[in-house]
Amino acid sequence: MIEKPRGPQDEAFERRARELFDASVDGLDAATRARLAAARHAAVSEAGSRRGATWRGWAPVAIAVSAALVAVIVWRAPGDAPSGTTGPAGAPALDALELVAAGEDLDLVAEDLEFYAWLDELSLEAVAAQGTTS
Amino acid sequence: MDAAVKLDRFLAGVERRAFRVAQLALRDRDDALDVVQGAMLRLARSYGGRSSEEWPALFFRILYNGIHDAQRRRAVRSRIFGLWPGGRTDGEDESDPLERIASRAPEPDRELMAAEAMRHLESALAELPARQRQAFVLRCLQGLDVAETAQAMECSEGSVKTHYFRALHALRGRLEEVW
Repeated sequence: MIEKPRGPQDEAFERRARELFDASVDGLDAATRARLAAARHAAVSEAGSRRGATWRGWAPVAIAVSAALVAVIVWRAPGDAPSGTTGPAGAPALDALELVAAGEDLDLVAEDLEFYAWLDELSLEAVAAQGTTS
Repeated sequence: MDAAVKLDRFLAGVERRAFRVAQLALRDRDDALDVVQGAMLRLARSYGGRSSEEWPALFFRILYNGIHDAQRRRAVRSRIFGLWPGGRTDGEDESDPLERIASRAPEPDRELMAAEAMRHLESALAELPARQRQAFVLRCLQGLDVAETAQAMECSEGSVKTHYFRALHALRGRLEEVW
């Protein structure tokens, strides 16, 4: 709906009504102003305490979810690893977790892996060579 | 800016006008104070985390819900007391006699005339249908825009314009001679 055009008399009337209302707001007595201010302080402090209460309320849930997540990672990881590459059950996954948690330099770990792969190849070649000679 | 500081500033800017809006509707100081206090608490509890731009419409919607609840309670009370022999009727003046004496203290002419004109406006507003009164108070006196008024009144913008237009012309018809 299009707002109906207001004439100058309407606008003058609105202005007068607003001025009277503003004057009545400005003329509020001190006791009323004090009660309003007290109500405002109560509302603002209530909002602050509720915000704190909300965080406190969610904290145990967050801790429980984090603990469950870590447990699932630890439990799942050994089964996911290819057979033959793991040591004692659970050890590689825990090592990996420790590395990530400790913030180790992962480039060094990658270099080590290449080195062990190369050693594997060498030992396989040696075994193959022994097989052909015997 | 901290959310609590923002909320405090918003409420500080709106509390006196909200009180006058409630007083215009309820015509009782203590009831109006209770309603404003309830609206402040409700806004802080339920909508303190919302964007501050949403607060004006939300606050006045809560305020008017409080006003309607107070009016309903008063109507029930009035019916119960009406059944009681010698019970107080709703239209009876409940204000403190000392306050009435104080309010008749001499004032400068201009202030006296403005107070008288405001009393006329209050009487004329009281005679309007509730939705027209609400639209006029929120749009004209409180200064909300059409969208905010529609949110506060929980109706369409078209309805706000219709209610406002009718209220404006009814009030002009009643007040032009006395203003």
